[in-house]
Amino acid sequence: MTSNDDSAALLERVTEAYQNKTPLRIVGGDSKKALGNSVSNNDHAPLSMLGHSGIISYEPTELVVTVRAGTPLSELNNALNDAGQMLAFEPPEFPNSTIGGVLACGLSGPRRPFNGSARDYVLGMRVINGQAQDLSFGGEVMKNVAGYDVSRLQVGAWGSLGVLLDMSMKVLPKPAKELTLRQDSPAHATDAFASLLRQSLPLSGAMLIGESRYLRLSGSDSAVLAAAAQLGGDVIADDVALWSSARNHTHEFFTTGLKVHGGVNTLWRVSVSDYAPALDVAGEYLYEWAGAQRWLKTEAPASEVYAAAAKLGGHATRYSASDDPAEPAFQPVLGPMRRLQARVRDSFDQQRLFNRGRFHPELDNLDAPSGAVSV
Amino acid sequence: MSAIPSAVTPDLSDPTDVGVDRVQRRERYAQELRSLLPEHSILATLEQLRPYESDGLTALKATPLLVVLPDTIEQIQALMRWARDHSVPVVARGAGTGLSGGALPHEDGIILGLAKFNQILEMNDDLGFARVQPGVTNLAISDAARPHGLYYAPDPSSQIACTIGGNVAENSGGVHCLKYGLTVHNVLSVTVVTIDGDLITFGCDGHDNEGYDLLALLTGSEGMLAVTVEVRVKLLPVPPVAKLVVAAFASVEAAGDAVGEVIAAGIIPAGLELMDNPAIVAAEAFAKCGYPTDAAALLLCELDGLAEEVDAQVAGVSEVFTRCSATSLHIAETEAERLLLWKGRKSAFPAVGRLAPDYYCIDGTIPRKQLSHVLQRMDEMSKEYDLPIANVFHAGDGNLHPLIMFDAGKPGELHRTEELGSRILQLCVEVGGTVTGEHGVGVEKINEMCVQFDENTLTQFHSVKAAFDPEGLLNPGKAVPTLQRCAEFGAMHIHHGELPFPELERF
Repeated sequence: MTSNDDSAALLERVTEAYQNKTPLRIVGGDSKKALGNSVSNNDHAPLSMLGHSGIISYEPTELVVTVRAGTPLSELNNALNDAGQMLAFEPPEFPNSTIGGVLACGLSGPRRPFNGSARDYVLGMRVINGQAQDLSFGGEVMKNVAGYDVSRLQVGAWGSLGVLLDMSMKVLPKPAKELTLRQDSPAHATDAFASLLRQSLPLSGAMLIGESRYLRLSGSDSAVLAAAAQLGGDVIADDVALWSSARNHTHEFFTTGLKVHGGVNTLWRVSVSDYAPALDVAGEYLYEWAGAQRWLKTEAPASEVYAAAAKLGGHATRYSASDDPAEPAFQPVLGPMRRLQARVRDSFDQQRLFNRGRFHPELDNLDAPSGAVSV
Repeated sequence: MSAIPSAVTPDLSDPTDVGVDRVQRRERYAQELRSLLPEHSILATLEQLRPYESDGLTALKATPLLVVLPDTIEQIQALMRWARDHSVPVVARGAGTGLSGGALPHEDGIILGLAKFNQILEMNDDLGFARVQPGVTNLAISDAARPHGLYYAPDPSSQIACTIGGNVAENSGGVHCLKYGLTVHNVLSVTVVTIDGDLITFGCDGHDNEGYDLLALLTGSEGMLAVTVEVRVKLLPVPPVAKLVVAAFASVEAAGDAVGEVIAAGIIPAGLELMDNPAIVAAEAFAKCGYPTDAAALLLCELDGLAEEVDAQVAGVSEVFTRCSATSLHIAETEAERLLLWKGRKSAFPAVGRLAPDYYCIDGTIPRKQLSHVLQRMDEMSKEYDLPIANVFHAGDGNLHPLIMFDAGKPGELHRTEELGSRILQLCVEVGGTVTGEHGVGVEKINEMCVQFDENTLTQFHSVKAAFDPEGLLNPGKAVPTLQRCAEFGAMHIHHGELPFPELERF
């Protein structure tokens, strides 16, 4: 196990950047370099988090782990697994993923609709803001309403609100028993999930690939077996491999037909309600989260995908690398919301030091209306 | 060091206001607002204002300039723009059940009462959500959902009266949050009116939205960032079975250890409550629910879900309690008995209220492993201040509610009680916990915030507020102390001769 506190050096780097007004590109394992907007065309200095790693404290009976951002996700998962526990939001584990990167990008896996998201499990965070201040929010206890919930705000902010140093998360016991059922389904029939969600079933995964619906059940032996008997279908032999292939994008759906494989398609993640109708974009689909997370391979331009997602009350994110500014990776934030979010960015990083251009470039515009306090 | 955002004193820079006393301003504002809202929406006489002088923290009172009770969202938008243009503070208020003074009026501001927004707009049992106005009570949502086999999980003990808008403001919990989470985990989207009068929705129909997660930031922000006008909450299927295991222990430490062992056994109970002997005795005298009054500590452990799951967990929990030397173990045999046993716990506050003329409820959270240390320190402090303390404890999540018994009629006793409460909260921070688990900071715990957070972090909080409310008009003076206030508070609590915030000038 690696263990290293690099916070003093990181703080020094940010202090220099603040004084010299030189932007920084925050990098963990760089496992998600294809995600977000490309920063390959800028020369922002990298700020590596890999030296800041290790589990700071973990007491299984408190259900809380505190860890440094650069800790490999695999190392954290192993430590939890040894104690019979897990990160209940089941984050994707790409090669070299760090826990800091997972939380910065706000990624959650198959359990998300049933157990909650990455931000739901965050209890506290230590963060360097854009004025090179070392700040601590939240804490290591499950109930804590002192101060604004800045820890959860940081989740999914792609580092644009600060350098995440340390994070405390709630963890849960692993279920005693898990099995996955495969049922026949018409293609795209996500509406069949809704009635399952409104029953007391020990569901922990619900996905539709082609004409196969997969339902994962988790809980005590007796409860899982009873639910399996009620639902029917074939029990899958290697269910761990199936769910991790969807979660980690190693499933054939994600490894064929994309531009990166010599194909013509771009990969998109579309987030809508689980009861939203089919998306009006031609392409191939894989449905996770009982239909609420839709993976789309398509040739359609970004504008078409964004419009279709917005029409269903959702939003889309590009998951294939692109340097084209006409194809932003995130659905642009508009109207009064854009003004508000730019002000929030202001309040943490007025100089736009962190990951400029990576998240929502429209929030990075330094000419945006500013409501920040200068301190 | 440049200026700190002025959170406590609003800048009433309109020169015509200088020297104009409150009575005149009250009349003038009421007159102006009559052009924006119907006459009946504006309360301006002292008799009408009196019921709004305090919230659940009745020790603190203030008379607002006006109380405004709009009927429509458009009226709220108009009111907010007016308040912004005139730099008038706005304090939003639901049912006024909050325990930290979050809805305490501002003497130069208006109370924006949301009581008329009490409609359930949509109960969607197919899709598992309810869309409600902010003035709907917490329990009314579950009551409306239950015929569909659904319910809203967070259940603060004031749920019969407290509103969902207030729950969002405070990120309210309840006895079931260990398994089902807090308000922040059960709200899908919130529509607000900003100080600029914009109508904005945080969250969306899906599981996440583009840009920042402002829904998480808004939840628990104590009315400092925006005014909630609509809430969409998640409804869960009512668990088919709920069973309650009650175990008595010869020491609080043994009960605390048993809680850790339940978690270690991989079981997450729906509720896990610990009461100490004074609380047991008080609750039994009040509710006559059959608690063993000779026990040093009692654990109430509720397990819910599918019958098969619950049976396995009841067996597991019983085994753990026996192994941890429980002196008695009882599983509620009927639904009526389960509810009666819960009634004892839920009436612990009023029960303690019968033992003393007054009681003061503290709300801190600690890492559970610190329980026996904290209880012992509290016992010492209780003796030092000569004020008895009963303890009820959301043991699963470490949220402690010491109830200090006192007599406000005795000179100085309220002050001593507040000081003892403050020391208990500082103890919670000292052992790695927090000054408020679920009741919020409000005005009550604003000084203790100075103990929990350093100067830079507090300044960052002020910057976040300024992003939403640049002039500091929404609920000014609450939730986050100014650095000046911390300096004054710190001057009273010098540790090891070190002056906190040494660079600030003192009064």
